[in-house]
Amino acid sequence: MSPMRSVMTRGSRSEGRLLSLLMVPVILVTLAPVARLLVEGISGETGFSASHLVPVLTAEATRIALAHSLVTAGLGTVISCLLGGAFAFLVALTDLRAKAALVFCLMIPMMIPPQITALAWTQVTGPSSVLLKTLGIAPPLGAPQPLYSPLGIALLLGIQHTSIVFLTLRAGLRAIPPEAVEAARAAGARGFRLWRQVVLPLSLPSLAAGTAMAFVTALGNFGIPAMLGIPARYSTLPTLIYQRLSGMGPSVLPEISVLALLIGAVALLGVIAHRLFLRRRAYGLIGLANRPLEISLGRARPLVETLLWGVILLILVLPLLALLATSLVPAYGVPLTLQTLTLEGWREALFHQPVTARAFANSFRLAGGAALVLMAVCLPLGWLMLRRPTRLTRCFDLLVDLPYALPGVVLAIACILLFLNLPFTERTLYGTAWIIFIAYLARFFPIMLRPVQAALAQLDPAMEEAAQSSGAALSRRLRTILLPLIAPAAAAGGILVFLTAFNELTVSALLWSSGTETLGVVIFNLDDSGETVMASAVSVSVVLVVVVLMGLIQLGARHLPKGVVPWQS
Amino acid sequence: MAELSLNRLGKTYPGSARAALADVTATIADGEFIALLGPSGCGKTTLLRLLAGFEGPTEGEIHVGGTLIASRRNLVPPEERNMGIVFQSYALWPHMSVARNIAYPLEVRGIAKPERSTRVAAALEMTGLSDFADRAPAALSGGQRQRVALARALVADPSAVLLDEPLANLDLALRGTMQEVFTGFHARTGATMVYVTHDQTEAMAMADRVAVMSEGRIRQFAAPEVLYNEPADDFVAGFVGDGAVLPALAEGPRGPGRAQVRVLGHSLEARARCAAPDRICARPEDITLSDTGPIRAEVRACTYQGGRFRLTLAAQGGARLIAFSRARARLGETLGLSLGRPWAYAGGAAHG
Repeated sequence: MSPMRSVMTRGSRSEGRLLSLLMVPVILVTLAPVARLLVEGISGETGFSASHLVPVLTAEATRIALAHSLVTAGLGTVISCLLGGAFAFLVALTDLRAKAALVFCLMIPMMIPPQITALAWTQVTGPSSVLLKTLGIAPPLGAPQPLYSPLGIALLLGIQHTSIVFLTLRAGLRAIPPEAVEAARAAGARGFRLWRQVVLPLSLPSLAAGTAMAFVTALGNFGIPAMLGIPARYSTLPTLIYQRLSGMGPSVLPEISVLALLIGAVALLGVIAHRLFLRRRAYGLIGLANRPLEISLGRARPLVETLLWGVILLILVLPLLALLATSLVPAYGVPLTLQTLTLEGWREALFHQPVTARAFANSFRLAGGAALVLMAVCLPLGWLMLRRPTRLTRCFDLLVDLPYALPGVVLAIACILLFLNLPFTERTLYGTAWIIFIAYLARFFPIMLRPVQAALAQLDPAMEEAAQSSGAALSRRLRTILLPLIAPAAAAGGILVFLTAFNELTVSALLWSSGTETLGVVIFNLDDSGETVMASAVSVSVVLVVVVLMGLIQLGARHLPKGVVPWQS
Repeated sequence: MAELSLNRLGKTYPGSARAALADVTATIADGEFIALLGPSGCGKTTLLRLLAGFEGPTEGEIHVGGTLIASRRNLVPPEERNMGIVFQSYALWPHMSVARNIAYPLEVRGIAKPERSTRVAAALEMTGLSDFADRAPAALSGGQRQRVALARALVADPSAVLLDEPLANLDLALRGTMQEVFTGFHARTGATMVYVTHDQTEAMAMADRVAVMSEGRIRQFAAPEVLYNEPADDFVAGFVGDGAVLPALAEGPRGPGRAQVRVLGHSLEARARCAAPDRICARPEDITLSDTGPIRAEVRACTYQGGRFRLTLAAQGGARLIAFSRARARLGETLGLSLGRPWAYAGGAAHG
């Protein structure tokens, strides 16, 4: 029998208190830059002032850009929900064949940087499309590019963020005990009724989470509206900020701070709406979800499979083919034939430019480091927020989406403001890889935290209480009980962080310096300087690296705990 | 193992006007099997969670073997209380095998591997799970899962084993078997067990003593037969066992343990411990049906219960009585009956 010593009591309590110290660096990294930005937005030359606030917020351009942002992000989220939702329900619940391959392909669009998505799609539809010219069906020169429109932006935003809805929803569907669905089938419910009355209500929390995340992501997307909206003179808030900054320089920092705060406020409203919705709709799920559901589609199965693969063809294969075609021509706009086919663009981009190899290494290190650090931090932090909620943690919970919801450009500026001069020292982080790393940590925090939080919240509290009664102190419970149980969610979050960071452009575009270029910067610089062919070549090689990486994980999936690989069925 | 003592324990949740637990005082002897019985919301689970340490009391104290483990100021966390707990949902860790689940409390205590294996093997043996040591919990049936949870709770030789409605998720036949598993385990290990349930048959069948709870208070804490034969108040009389509570008029004591009372207009002798009882608890066994019985009552319902019929009777003034009969009775029929030595008590006295 183990004696109960008061020394141990104190030891255990201080363990919990020690854990709350974690909030200090976490808040410093995630919220301090945004707070610094807030101060910049509302202060004039001499202390607090609305001198920037009022004129910017009442300007016609701001109103229009806000409306445009809401319309494109809203429509895009609808598209993400329809596509991602249909795929998630069908893959998680039915007896589709080749699910793994289907999911694998669905994940790829998310890993392609937005501006590359936009580039690839304009290669599919526009008058100078290499693919269409090669096929001889290109519209005449001077014909309008149909994607240079609000609908075009919304469509690509929707496709870009389909996997967010898909992953979140499917994770939620997996947590539904099969008995819940089988009980309804036994009760005579089938088909649409089964889905609408049982599956949908049970999966609403995760669908709502996915929707909120897709909306917030779409709202902050810069690449797509920049590529498609700027030619059509259709500004959203992120492109408005970018244009102001690149047009006028740092003198407009206070003004764009206000715009950034505006978009942050809109994102916050989305998050709060999601919270309120969840509060009324959270069900406790009873039972172990240990068997996957496989409802038979019957004779409709080949038709459904054809439809799903058709969607994959349209949103993945077609634009990638167009991108590949563009990377293989000697000059942009030349049709691809056996005579014109050349690897010159590839050779130049990959071997003659040392910056490309450096960018690959930088992006690997930054993205991998961010994923690992966030994984290590988010489990104890998620536990703290769930089991020891304080006003501080609740506040943090509400605000942690901000760095992610803000356009990357703005977070970058916030980081510059904060880290330009490190307090108490003469040193600066600006110009080093560390400022990019910190910005990544801040930006991708919610991508890691939310799945971990969801997994912790769904866990039967008795799991932890049983360990507690067994005598396990906090650190041991975290390590031996909670970590293995939420490992799938943590790994899914980690992979999402890595892939998002690996292709990230908007933060690093303002923070890079010679030697710390990221892949996004290299692609952007090539594209910006008119080297569409070389940009396409690097893009295709990035896509290849990502696909190979995903393939490696897929091969090792058998040895990983169940559910670690997000696209594995 | 050690004695558990609860001293004026109370718990009020923040923002709640009503106390979830109030003025609970009790002593649980070393090796005793105790059941906490009551309807849902009566505070029995709250009391269990206070014992386990998942929550702290707002009033009073808990001592284990003379050591203070919980009061408003001092709270030994659950991981240092050395209590085993069995949950309704089993709470087995799905990423660990059966043997690993059971070994976990020993691992945490830093017990060396050879001893650990011996003790886990013994626990598996005792719960009849030896063949399942390497299975995953998900591959077990409900009864087997609950036995793993029991083995895990007991393996580290805890001060007490707390069981939170452990059989609520199991089917009836399995419940009977598991009751035997629990009582057998209790007999062999001599562990102090605190068993929360809302099922009186379960509580009465297994426990040495049962604490009947309602609205956050312990109404009566006694052996099952005492609860049945001598309920302390109306709640216990109505909640435990079958029968009826009837108003009575005290006609004076008749010596130790006896009282003369007037019930339904008839004077009769009752068992009693107080001087002025004002009601009786008439169990079906106390009622003898006969054509010459002084009390007349009409049959309102008749259900067969295997070997006998259970009759619901309405006496004069509408008072309801429950009686057993060897023969079937017709609805509406009037029968004669007599009351033999029912339990008489003062209804308002137990909790004024």
